[in-house]
Amino acid sequence: MLSLLKQKEWSPYLAGTLLGIVYIVSIAVAGIIPGASGAFENIGGLLAQAIYPALANNTYFKFVMPPGITFAVFIFLGIIVGAFVSAKLSGDFKLSSVPDPQWRRVFGTSVWKRWLVVFLGGIVLEFGAGIAGGCTSGLAIGGGLFLAPSAFIFIAAMFISGIPTAMLMYWRKY
Amino acid sequence: MGDILFPLVLGFGFGFALQKAGLSKYNKIVNVFRFTDLAVLKFMMTTLAVAMVGVFALNTLGWIALPAIPSTYLVGNLVGGLIFGVGMAGAGF
Repeated sequence: MLSLLKQKEWSPYLAGTLLGIVYIVSIAVAGIIPGASGAFENIGGLLAQAIYPALANNTYFKFVMPPGITFAVFIFLGIIVGAFVSAKLSGDFKLSSVPDPQWRRVFGTSVWKRWLVVFLGGIVLEFGAGIAGGCTSGLAIGGGLFLAPSAFIFIAAMFISGIPTAMLMYWRKY
Repeated sequence: MGDILFPLVLGFGFGFALQKAGLSKYNKIVNVFRFTDLAVLKFMMTTLAVAMVGVFALNTLGWIALPAIPSTYLVGNLVGGLIFGVGMAGAGF
C-alpha cells in the first residue's frame, strides 16, 4: 500500500478510479458536483468587490457565480495540498519556472515566455469555463456522468479548438 | 467545521489523483491535443464511468438524490468550450 502511494505515476485508470470515488462521495454526501474552475470565479468575484465593486455588480456575479469562500474554494485548497503530498511522497516535487522536458526542448528556457503563455492561457481558459458553465471537472466529467448534453458539447468543443491550437504551437517544431 | 473539512478532504483526493496520473505536468495536458499521450482522456473517461456507476447505483437503491445537473445551452457550452480548449492547450493546465 505504501509502495503504491510512493509510486511516481499511476495508471490513468487507477488514478481515474480514485477521482471517480471522490465524485461519488461528494455527490452522495453534499449533493454537489466537484469542480476546479468555480473557485477562481468565486475568489475573482471577491477581489472585484474589494477593489472595484462595480465590476462585481452584474448578472454573472449576482446570480450565476456569487462571490464568496465557497465549497469550491475549499476543494481548490485541498487540491493544492493533495497534489503536494502526492508529489512529496514519490519524490516528484520540485520548483521550476519552466516545465520540462518538452517545453524546454521546443520553446526554450525563457521564463517570461512561459509565464506569459500560462497567464494568457489561464485567462482564456477561465473565461471559456465561465461561459460554458464549468470546466473539465465540473462540466465535462460532472455533467458527463449524468449524460448531460452540455458535457459532450463542451468536450467536443474543447478538442475542436484545442487540437489546432496545440498543432499550431508545435508546427514544424517537434 | 464539516462544511470546511469535507471539501478540503475531497480536494485532497482530487489533487492526489491528478498528480498521480501525471496531469499536473505540462506535457501530459498538451500532448492529448497532439494525440501523442492520451492519459488525459483515459483518466477523464475512467472517472466519468466510475462516478456514473456509483452515483446511479446509490440513486437506484434510493439512498441518494441526484444533484442539479449542468444545464445545456448549446451556444454557451459550444462557444465556452471552444475558448476553453485554446486556453487549455496553450497553458497546459
